[in-house]
Amino acid sequence: MIRVGSGKVGKPIKWSYLLGRTVLFIVLTALLIVFMLPVYGVIVTSFKSVAEVSTSGYWNLPQSLNLANFIKVLNPDDGNLGLYLKNSLLLTIPASVFSIALGTLAGYGLAKYSFNGNAALFVFMVAGMFLPPQIALIPIFRLMNDIGLYDTLWAVIIIHTAFGIPICTLIMRNFFYTVPNALREAALIDGANDYGIFVRIMLPLTRPALAVLATLQFTWIWNDFLWPFILTQRADSRTVMVGILNLTGQYSVDWGGQAAASFVASLPTLVIFIFFQRYFIRGLTVGAVKG
Amino acid sequence: MAEVVLEHVYKRFGSVTAVQDFNLQIDDEEFMVFVGPSGCGKTTTLRMIAGLEEITEGTCAIGDRVVNDVPPKDRDIAMVFQNYALYPHMNVHQNMSFGLRLRKTPKDEIERRVREAAQILQIEHLLDRRPRELSGGQRQRVALGRAIVREPKVFLMDEPLSNLDAKLRVEMRASISKLHRRLGVTTIYVTHDQVEAMTMGTRIVVMKDGLIQQVDSPINLYDKPKNRFVAGFIGSPAMNFMVGTVEGDRIKSGQFDVKTDELLSQKLQGYNGKKVYLGIRPENIGLEGYTTIPERDNVIQANVDVVEPLGAETHLIASVDGEASIVARVDPHAEVRAGDKVKLFADVKFLHAFDLDTEVNLRFS
Repeated sequence: MIRVGSGKVGKPIKWSYLLGRTVLFIVLTALLIVFMLPVYGVIVTSFKSVAEVSTSGYWNLPQSLNLANFIKVLNPDDGNLGLYLKNSLLLTIPASVFSIALGTLAGYGLAKYSFNGNAALFVFMVAGMFLPPQIALIPIFRLMNDIGLYDTLWAVIIIHTAFGIPICTLIMRNFFYTVPNALREAALIDGANDYGIFVRIMLPLTRPALAVLATLQFTWIWNDFLWPFILTQRADSRTVMVGILNLTGQYSVDWGGQAAASFVASLPTLVIFIFFQRYFIRGLTVGAVKG
Repeated sequence: MAEVVLEHVYKRFGSVTAVQDFNLQIDDEEFMVFVGPSGCGKTTTLRMIAGLEEITEGTCAIGDRVVNDVPPKDRDIAMVFQNYALYPHMNVHQNMSFGLRLRKTPKDEIERRVREAAQILQIEHLLDRRPRELSGGQRQRVALGRAIVREPKVFLMDEPLSNLDAKLRVEMRASISKLHRRLGVTTIYVTHDQVEAMTMGTRIVVMKDGLIQQVDSPINLYDKPKNRFVAGFIGSPAMNFMVGTVEGDRIKSGQFDVKTDELLSQKLQGYNGKKVYLGIRPENIGLEGYTTIPERDNVIQANVDVVEPLGAETHLIASVDGEASIVARVDPHAEVRAGDKVKLFADVKFLHAFDLDTEVNLRFS
C-alpha cells in the first residue's frame, strides 16, 4: 500500500493515501449516480401507465411490473416498433460493415504501402471527421432527392458509410502501423500475394481493432437520429430512433410508451457490446516479434 | 542447391547510396557471412537477394537464373528474420507449414517435413503452441523450422541471434552451424557480431559504408586484413594502432621502436621518413619477463592505465605516446598494476603497417 523507498514512510503518507482514495471513491460514486439516473428513470417509467406517471412521477418505483407499454409499442397497429427495429438493423448492419471494410482497406494501404502523397491523403481523409455533418445537410438532402434515393434506407446507409470511413481509417491505420513489417515480408517469402497477406495474416490480427470499431460504429449509427430523420419520411423506412419521436402526439406525450420504446431500442447496442467485448484482447500480436 | 552471384549491384535510396558495386560469388553449400557495423549495407544486400528490396543497378542470380525481376516467393529462398516474424495467430505447426500450404504441397508431405524439421530443432513438443507461449530461443527455432520445411535453395538469415541472451546465442550459433552441415544448403548470414562471423562462416564479407572491404575465410581475414578497417573490426580485443615514422627497417615514435621483418621492410621502402599506422594484435605483444617472444629489440614503452584479469589471461590497457591506447594480452600471473611503466615486446612476424591516407595494409599490398 505504501511505496517502499519513497523516503517518507509512516503515518502521513498512509493518511493522505486514504484521503485520496476516499475522495476518489465519493467522486466516482456521484458520477455513477448522475450517469445512471436517466437509465433508472426510463426503466421505471416504462412499466407505468400514463395515469401512474402523472400521479407518482418519473422516479418512484412502479406499482406493478405492467408490460402494457411494451406490448403497445411493439404492436404493428400502434407503436409499430418491430418494423422500426428491423429498419434500424437493415441500416446499421450494412453501414457498419461497409464503413469498417472500406476503413480497414484504406488503413492497411496507408500504413503498409509507401507511395507519394501517403501522408497527405491520410490527413485529408481524417480531416473529414472534423467536418460537422450539419453543414452538408441540405446538399445531401438534395443529392439524395436527385438520384432518387430519398426516403430509402440506402440513402442513410451511404451517408453513414461515408461519415464512418475517416474514423475507421484512422483507427485501422494506426493499428496496422503497430503490426511489424517483417510479418508481411515473411509471408511474401512464404509465397503469399498481397491479397493473401491481407486476408490470412493481417485480418486475423486486427480482431481487437475490428471489435472496437464494430461496437463504435454500430452504436453510433444505431443511435443516430439526424440522418434518418432528414432522409426518410414514410413509416416503411423509419428507423427506431425516429420511431420513438413519432410516439409523441401533438398535444400529449406517452411517457410510459416512449420509455418502453427507448428501453427496447437500447438493447441491441448492449448485445453488440457484450458480444464483441470478448475480442477486446490487448496485445494479440504478442509473440510475433521480439521486443 | 544453388550458388548465388551478385554482379555490380548498387542500391540507392534517393540520393543515398546504401550499397556500391557489390560483386560476390557465393558457392553452392557455402555459409557466407556478411558482417559490418550498422548502416554498412549488409542487410540491404540480403534483402535485395531476398527480393524485398529492388536492385537499383546490377544483377543478382540464384542458381543459373537472374532473379532481379522475380518476386520473393519464386526465388526459392527462405529467410529468418531478426525479430522472428512468426505469425502470432497461428500455432507452431501452422507457422512452419504456412508456406507449404500456400504452395499446395500434399498434406502427408507437409506433415513429414514439419515433423522432420521439428525433430531436428527439438521443438516437436511445441507444435501446438502459439508464438506468445514460447521463449525467445524457442521462437528462434520455430523461425528456423519455418525456413527448413520449405527446403529452399538458399537460406537467408538476418541477424537471427541478436535478440537472444549471450548464453543462448552461443548455443544457437552451434545449432545453426550444425544445421548447415546437415542440410548443406547455401546460407547467407548477416550479423554485426564479428565473433558470430568468425565462428560460423566458411567465408566472410566485411562491409563498410556500402562497400565490400574484403572477402575471405575467417582465418585469412584475421591474419591478412586488407586494410585498417578490417584489421580493427575482426578480432577481440581489436588490433592496436599507433602512428610511427618509417626509418629504414624500423618504425619509430617517442615511446616505441620496432623492427620490421624482411617482407614488411621491402613493402615500406617507399615510405622511408613517412608516417604510417603500426598495427599489432594484443596477443602479439609480450610483457617483459612473461613472454616467449624471441626478439628483444622491438620495444614499446607504455603506461598501464587499467589491468583486467580474466583468469586465463590478463588484458593490460596502456597508453603509448600519451595518446594511443593499446591492449596487450599477457600472462595472468604478471605482476602489473595500474600506473606502472612497462616494457612491451612486439612479435615482428605479426606487425602490420597501414598507409596513413588510404589505410591499406602495406604488408599485403
